[in-house]
Amino acid sequence: MTAVMDNTAPTSAEIPAPDGSVTVTVKILRFNPEVDSEPHWESYDVPALPTDRVLNLLINIKGYVDGTLSFRRSCAHGICGSDAMQINGINRLACKVLVKDLLAKKGKPTTISVAPIKGLPVMKDLYVDMEPFFEAFRAVKPFLITYGNEPTNERIQSPADRERFDDTTKCILCACCTTSCPVFWSDGSYFGPAAIVNAHRFIFDSRDEGAEERLDILNDAEGVWRCRTTFNCTDACPRGIQVTKAIQEVKRALLFKRV
Amino acid sequence: MTEVERHNYDVVVIGAGGAGLRAAIEARQRGLTTAVICKSLFGKAHTVMAEGGCAASMGNVNSNDSWQVHFRDTMRGGKFLNNWRMAELHAKEAPDRVWELETYGALFDRTEDGRISQRNFGGHTYPRLAHVGDRTGLELIRTMQQKIVSLQQEDKAEFGDYEAKLKVFQECTITELLKDDSGAISGAFGYWRESGRFVLFETGAVIMATGGIGKSFQVTSNSWEYTGDGHALAARTGASLINMEFVQFHPTGMVWPPSVKGILVTEGVRGDGGVLKNSEGKRFMFDYVPDVFKGQYAETEEEADRWYTDPDNNRRTPDLLPRDEVARAINTEVKEGRGSPHGGVYLDIASRMPDEEIKRRLPSMYHQFKELADVDITAEPMEVGPTCHYVMGGIEVDPDTGESTVPGLFAAGECSGGMHGSNRLGGNSLSDLLVFGRRAGLGAANYVESLERKPVVLQSDIDAAARSAVSPFEPAEGEGARENPYTLQHELQQTMNDLVGIIRTADEIERALGRLAEIRSRVRNVVVEGHRQFNPGWHLAIDLRNMMVVSEAVAKAALLRTESRGGHTRDDFPMLDSDWRNRLLSCRVSGEDQVVPDVVVEPKEQVPMRQDLLELFELSELEKYYTEAELTTHPAAQGDTA
Repeated sequence: MTAVMDNTAPTSAEIPAPDGSVTVTVKILRFNPEVDSEPHWESYDVPALPTDRVLNLLINIKGYVDGTLSFRRSCAHGICGSDAMQINGINRLACKVLVKDLLAKKGKPTTISVAPIKGLPVMKDLYVDMEPFFEAFRAVKPFLITYGNEPTNERIQSPADRERFDDTTKCILCACCTTSCPVFWSDGSYFGPAAIVNAHRFIFDSRDEGAEERLDILNDAEGVWRCRTTFNCTDACPRGIQVTKAIQEVKRALLFKRV
Repeated sequence: MTEVERHNYDVVVIGAGGAGLRAAIEARQRGLTTAVICKSLFGKAHTVMAEGGCAASMGNVNSNDSWQVHFRDTMRGGKFLNNWRMAELHAKEAPDRVWELETYGALFDRTEDGRISQRNFGGHTYPRLAHVGDRTGLELIRTMQQKIVSLQQEDKAEFGDYEAKLKVFQECTITELLKDDSGAISGAFGYWRESGRFVLFETGAVIMATGGIGKSFQVTSNSWEYTGDGHALAARTGASLINMEFVQFHPTGMVWPPSVKGILVTEGVRGDGGVLKNSEGKRFMFDYVPDVFKGQYAETEEEADRWYTDPDNNRRTPDLLPRDEVARAINTEVKEGRGSPHGGVYLDIASRMPDEEIKRRLPSMYHQFKELADVDITAEPMEVGPTCHYVMGGIEVDPDTGESTVPGLFAAGECSGGMHGSNRLGGNSLSDLLVFGRRAGLGAANYVESLERKPVVLQSDIDAAARSAVSPFEPAEGEGARENPYTLQHELQQTMNDLVGIIRTADEIERALGRLAEIRSRVRNVVVEGHRQFNPGWHLAIDLRNMMVVSEAVAKAALLRTESRGGHTRDDFPMLDSDWRNRLLSCRVSGEDQVVPDVVVEPKEQVPMRQDLLELFELSELEKYYTEAELTTHPAAQGDTA
């Protein structure tokens, strides 16, 4: 049996439809490991305000239509990085995608497809096993490494030095970048963009003295040289981090042995 | 006999926000085996949402700052109901905790000479908040996550196992605390959210660090985790909760569009120069300086504007009054018809500084409004209104050790009570997490080391905990319709929002208690479908019990306190009442019902403030809060009689 089948949409009469709402079809790739051998699509016709986020639609489906729909979410405004998923095929945070940006032109019916991020094992519906992702994060020694005595108060860091690595400190570990990377899809042992971003955050921190150790790790077969510069990661980052640029800076540091 | 996965740890920390992680680091550094349990993924805790900063009197920006000034600001903010010992420890230790975090690797915005920069915030006399743009909480959590990764790599080198000393159990929910026959903590029982399988942690010490209760209100800046689990678990284990009537409504949450109503707009907007205006364009906060703060705030717009650049010779803008004052002012403006189109007021930063400066100082706010509300905050004002943000009330603890009234049960952070009195100052939460997270870690470590034998978990308790957890799958026999947990949660949130919200009356609170009683009778009939594996409906059914307990505690305490103070405003008792200042309302559970027990509230007296701390205040200020009889020991009062 093939994985894809389109069920008839269950009724959603119970979801409150406020003034100004339109009906959209949300097509979700569902998977329940207890009964399904493979994922399948299910569609839900739901009322949506143009100002709703995709996350609101998912919460409504879970609350009113099918209480077993499973997905991660927490802060609901793009800071914790829990609700990364493929929305219309693109990795996004569900709490930051507005329905108005997905509505079909000229009043045509709108279908929004929602699937789990790619390249990590699916556990249920939109839940994926994040452990391989965090394993790569931990492998690059994502913590300040210093030698010698600790200062009494703070270490001094000039505003310019602090600015140097500002971009890569914005990472929220949502996995949008890593799971948009074709190299990661084909070979999960590649560290992936997020881990490199987190290494970059320390390599270019003027207080840190562990750059060499980290660069050795990233010089590995599964390290930065696997990057094929497709820029998928940069496009996917919900924080606007210049991910590909950060990876290039790490490559350059390796080539010229200097940060 | 229940099938259960067993783990054994010296210390178990429930919650992986700032307080939980700091506690876990401390216990691990004392050499104890430590487990951290969290409902979400590790690193996604609610602390990430803190934006403005972490208050600590380092004096990097204004060297006049000191722990004494911070202590005074905190007590004033809490309207002198704070546990003064906690406020003292907090003010004294916060700078060390921030510096320590910096040595862990935390990123901070810097002063010109490279020290940690500090920003202004409501109620703080001097620029005091160490910060990273408007993502300070995220950096705090990330830094401690990194610290834990580094400790685990040290353990790998020493013991051959990353998790030999410190292990994080993520996406795991605790449903019961267990005690041995002497009444001391013996373990924690819960389930894996993924598989629904039961798990037991055998331990002598549990540290609660579960955060707040905001999900009991409809409009809130809090995330789904904030269902009062720690409050309710502790209460059901026999601990007392204090100050539950004090709920902070942050004055500036988003009010539009509806899908994002309640999401926080950082106080940093006002700290950096943003001002509140009503529909007439008036900076209305000048009309709302209460008597207790008269003379401490600017009286004209000109003076307020000069203060940003010349704080030594001018007084600060009343836009930066403590949060309870600002939230009430906004509420009044809207009620009197001077609100914005979507029922808030305007927060204007666009006309106050250049576009690039706004984007540099407040990048998250710029994106949040651009992406979620299609508002460009560099060009037009934001619409903002109050949103449920923080609960001052929590588990009653010993200030020095964080131990609750149950032996072996400790608490830190938002789920503990006392530190913030009736109202928390912005920025005092992140510092609270660090100071009392560390202290609870130490307290638990000392306690465990002093135990002669490890408490034993009883099999009958495990069986009972398991039965209670799966009961939503087995509908009760007999009368009553089957209830949907989402519907009940919604009704509960609506009730608390409408009837026990920012402005309260006895009549409304009594109606709320009536509705809560009705919802409680229906909680028993909640039925969930499907299996235990990743079943959000089941998870909510269990969370709902906790939300019931904390909502009842809030409502019952709010009814008893017949005065207005901080985060508790009674329209029928609008004044601060000195006779109430020293009285705490202590909530305990009672009754037969194990699932959603009754809450009983009793007043109790607080220990009077130590003399040397009392003397940090002018008599004339204390007279606004204290009864005359309480102030006879103040030197100025003695001078009068001499």
